[in-house]
Amino acid sequence: MRSQFYGLYLREILRTFRNPFVLLVTIVQPFMWLAFFGSSFANAPPSVIQAFAEGNNYLAFLLPGTLSTSMLSVGMFGSMSAIQDKRFGFMKRILITPTSKGVVFLTKALGSATRGLIQFPIMIVAATIFGVSFHLTALEWAAWVAALFFLAIGFSSLFFAITASSTDWQTPGVVSNFITMPLMFASTALFGGQYFPAWMKAISAVNPITFSALLGRAFVLETPVPWINLGYLAAFAGVLLAIGWVVSARYLKVD
Amino acid sequence: MNAAGIAIDVRNVSKRYGTETKGVLALDHVSLSVPKGSVFGLLGPNGAGKTTLIKVLTGISDLTSGNATVAGFDVRRESMKVRARIGWVAAEVILDDDFTARENLWLQAKLQSLKDWEPRAELLLQYFSLADRADDKVSSYSTGMRKKLEIALALLHQPEVIFMDEPTIGLDVSTRRMLWDIVTGVHREFGVTVLLTTHYIEEADALCGRIAIIDHGRVIAEGTPSELKARVKGDVIALETVEPIDVGAVGSIPGVEEVRPQGNEWMIRVASAETVLPLLLASVRTENVRRVSVEKPSLETVFLDLTGRRIGQEEPMRDIRQFYAQMRRARA
Repeated sequence: MRSQFYGLYLREILRTFRNPFVLLVTIVQPFMWLAFFGSSFANAPPSVIQAFAEGNNYLAFLLPGTLSTSMLSVGMFGSMSAIQDKRFGFMKRILITPTSKGVVFLTKALGSATRGLIQFPIMIVAATIFGVSFHLTALEWAAWVAALFFLAIGFSSLFFAITASSTDWQTPGVVSNFITMPLMFASTALFGGQYFPAWMKAISAVNPITFSALLGRAFVLETPVPWINLGYLAAFAGVLLAIGWVVSARYLKVD
Repeated sequence: MNAAGIAIDVRNVSKRYGTETKGVLALDHVSLSVPKGSVFGLLGPNGAGKTTLIKVLTGISDLTSGNATVAGFDVRRESMKVRARIGWVAAEVILDDDFTARENLWLQAKLQSLKDWEPRAELLLQYFSLADRADDKVSSYSTGMRKKLEIALALLHQPEVIFMDEPTIGLDVSTRRMLWDIVTGVHREFGVTVLLTTHYIEEADALCGRIAIIDHGRVIAEGTPSELKARVKGDVIALETVEPIDVGAVGSIPGVEEVRPQGNEWMIRVASAETVLPLLLASVRTENVRRVSVEKPSLETVFLDLTGRRIGQEEPMRDIRQFYAQMRRARA
């Protein structure tokens, strides 16, 4: 199992770096958020920024949120690559060897999470260029990366589980519409949640994106760190990994 | 034959896609056994169930009922053990196009948990004349090279059985010839059992020591090519006429054993075409004859004899002239 895991995981990583478009979209997408969405508040009255963003720098507020929501698209791309392997028959090539479906799932989830984390250093550099300054300890950097990693693993597992039996290119896009929009906006990734209606507050309160955004934001804005969020995100990743493993063993189909 | 000499044993295997009422029975109580070290062919038209049988035997599809073992292991209960002992060559070439030949071999080695696989990989690259291009991305390879690499991948872990699904489908004549040589060579050099599917009569005849003819999910005949051909007694005269012939008159010609319509032709089974043909042509008006051909016993006539159809002919063929005549009438 170790051998298959190593082979398939390395394949995911190598393929990422050999496919310029995957790399480009991974890097450009969060950058666009910062550049366009982040800049749209550049000349807003300070009181508006203060009210929405708990500070005077909307970009510093937005960065941890953007990184968190990016992990949603990371999940979508992961399930698209699984469907591509099914469509081109490569999944058959894998499964006509002593490789379990669980390992296929694990390497896809881990591969897309790794791809997602490539965004992290790029975004930090980009945010610095846009004027955000960082004062994190090594432990805080590590915790932030871990939080995003858990989030990416969770969403990759979720997407993989939902699309396990599908061979249709469109499925991840459809699923993404149902997951991405609600989770992105019903979270504190883009705005503070204080002006949400009660039902959105309820979603936001259990939304892993909120937990990740709040943790990252505490590091950037140097406010008290809700360390418990890291535990919540680890549990989120663990539960969805388990679900993904079981679902893929049963429903991952190539025929 | 004892169990030790059998590479693939299929007993009463059925495979149904969909439900009992609305589904398709792709395999219908198939039984066959493939001797170790043989090249065994599954011959049948498209949609006969050949690929489904490969999917069941390689563990890609679950069977609905029956039992099957490959390399001595049950395909359902011991699927991992089976998959460590088989190689697979797809009908459509399946490789990782972003990888080089060497990287494809590396990944296959990882998937088969192989240690010290490099010397064998080099040997295979040499054997298939791919060594010069081994570090090029396979997306730049010709179809023949891709096919060769796929066979190399299938051989890397020294499997006991190789499954080849329609190995020459869509290939040009010279590549097909090359592939036939490769299959024969691989079988001889590496001593591996080969199960291949094909709908090409001449391919089955050229490559296979034993053949099972499969149609509508059922094995309808099995044997060596010469055994199968011996089943068909005599020759077949295929006669295409303008007007229908007098079946009674033709049937009473000495040496004629059977007359039956087949599309727009008449299939006349005779003891010996050489003696019957002059009498036959004398009995039907010459201006009525469009075309006449004689077929000596071949796997084609075996299939025709067993099913009443030619192998590449799913439905009774429409007379193309009749079809155009209808089109003209419809336009007028």
